[in-house]
Amino acid sequence: MIIWSIAKTTVGDALRKKVLQIFLVVAIGLIIISLSFSQTLSFSSRAGSSTDIMLVKSFGLGLMAVAAWLISLVMGVTLIPQEIERRTIYTILSKPVKRYEFIIGKYLGAILTLAINVGIMGVVFIAVCVFKAMTAEPPPTPQETGIPVVGMEQVGLFDWNMVWGVIMIYFQFMVLSSVVLFLSVVLTPTVNFFMGLGVYIVGVMAPLTETLAGPDVKLHFLLKGFYKVLHTVVPNFDKFNITNPLLHPETQVKSIPVYTGIVTLYAILYALVMMLLAVIVFRKKEV
Amino acid sequence: MADAISVRGLTKVYGGRLKDSVAAVDNISFTVAEGEVFGFIGPNGAGKTTTIKILLGLLFPTSGEAEVLGRPAGDIETKRRISYLPESPYFYEHMTGAEVIDFYCRLFRMDAAARKQKTQELLERVGLAEDGNRTLRQYSKGMLQRIGIAQALINDPDLLFLDEPTSGLDPMAHKDITELIASLGKQGKTVFLSSHQLGDVETVCDRVAIINRGRIVKIGTLDDLLRAGRTVVTLAKPTDELVDKLKPHAERVSVDGELVRFYVESEEDVYSMLEAARGKATLVSVVPQRQTLEDLFVEIVREVRK
Repeated sequence: MIIWSIAKTTVGDALRKKVLQIFLVVAIGLIIISLSFSQTLSFSSRAGSSTDIMLVKSFGLGLMAVAAWLISLVMGVTLIPQEIERRTIYTILSKPVKRYEFIIGKYLGAILTLAINVGIMGVVFIAVCVFKAMTAEPPPTPQETGIPVVGMEQVGLFDWNMVWGVIMIYFQFMVLSSVVLFLSVVLTPTVNFFMGLGVYIVGVMAPLTETLAGPDVKLHFLLKGFYKVLHTVVPNFDKFNITNPLLHPETQVKSIPVYTGIVTLYAILYALVMMLLAVIVFRKKEV
Repeated sequence: MADAISVRGLTKVYGGRLKDSVAAVDNISFTVAEGEVFGFIGPNGAGKTTTIKILLGLLFPTSGEAEVLGRPAGDIETKRRISYLPESPYFYEHMTGAEVIDFYCRLFRMDAAARKQKTQELLERVGLAEDGNRTLRQYSKGMLQRIGIAQALINDPDLLFLDEPTSGLDPMAHKDITELIASLGKQGKTVFLSSHQLGDVETVCDRVAIINRGRIVKIGTLDDLLRAGRTVVTLAKPTDELVDKLKPHAERVSVDGELVRFYVESEEDVYSMLEAARGKATLVSVVPQRQTLEDLFVEIVREVRK
């Protein structure tokens, strides 16, 4: 009950933050505008070909990821320090509230806020994809063009892969939120922002750190060890980037639901470990 | 009477073992009896808030011991029986007054019916029954302070920590909150009051501790701390000869037209002066002045600074 009360209050507070509202509105605006981008940039003279829709999907997923990244980072770094600065933490922790309840409540509030934001963007994005597919003109026949047609196939109205894409974006930034929330217990917001940024960049470059830590690259053993630790400790955000497999499902991943299930499990486990560390550190944190 | 608060050799050093470390609280010891209204006063940065935070378990002492209601400071079970109003509290602005109280009620695991009843009762008690459905964004500073008081009364606490509860309030709100604190004292609650409003402290507190630079420099009941003070003897048209004769009895002499005021420390000197002045000047008044807490505070802080 206490955790849920703190989470609900956190959501109410976070949803009213102007900066987060701006990220959301700009992202939604750009997703809608992407409808006309694709027509302008289309390689086809006919609107609504599979190439057009692919452009809308790719652009939308990328944009949502950027918005969710900004939301999780900005929200995560301010969550605990702001409570201390505004002194709300004093009236809460002087009540019979255990410190772990406070931390978990704040994190739950953060990921619920992220879910609401990603959910709203996701609904708009999928609606845009459906609208694009609905307004698609029939693809030209080989008889019309005189040559075999590539990238102009008629597409279905609803693409389930886009739902998986939105879910992956959510879990990716749920993990980042857990990292910055843990760091916010020990770092100032500014330092935490750059640490969070660094963690995300290293996490996205996980294949590179894996290669550098592997036997194929000759490096000093200390440097190799460093890359090994980096690859092990920093969350592998590359796993969540499934835009290409989603747009070309036949080429890279056999079963998107199975793959996303495994990655979701990874995200939940990683977030749990981060929360455990945050709870341990926060037990002795002076506020 | 048992101790509500017991502090022994409490020290809090910020900055660890580095050269620039500062002892915000330096080896202080005191007790507060149950049912006592205890004033904790000192200049800014004296260590008042640090002491309160240690007692609430928000900060951890570098050394020494602190017990609240017979258990170590910060104990979760003790928190069911205490409450805290921080200086200039901030609550979530998007919530209404009633929602804020409901939120704090939830932290005590109250069920819905109890929360509803308690919220209504507290809003009425702090004079916000009509404003309970307005968001805090629309509240004045005085109203926010009342909400702060209301959240501090949710659990009908045995011990309240109030940090500058009347700071920045208009005279009406100031008076209401001072009266509320006095009424809590009469109900047998223990109140630990930290304030710069020395008049309030003098009005409501049974005992006072003065802390300066992390050390308690004076502690006791107001009667013990505030000495009887001086007496002002005012004479009209005394001769120069008489004034010269009386001067050695007075600490200070001031002339205001035909009136001459003698500030006299001891009662014996007052009687000697009156005897000497009989028939040589007109006696206008003899006014005994008790030292105020503010006088004592200024005197002590100045002395320590010297």
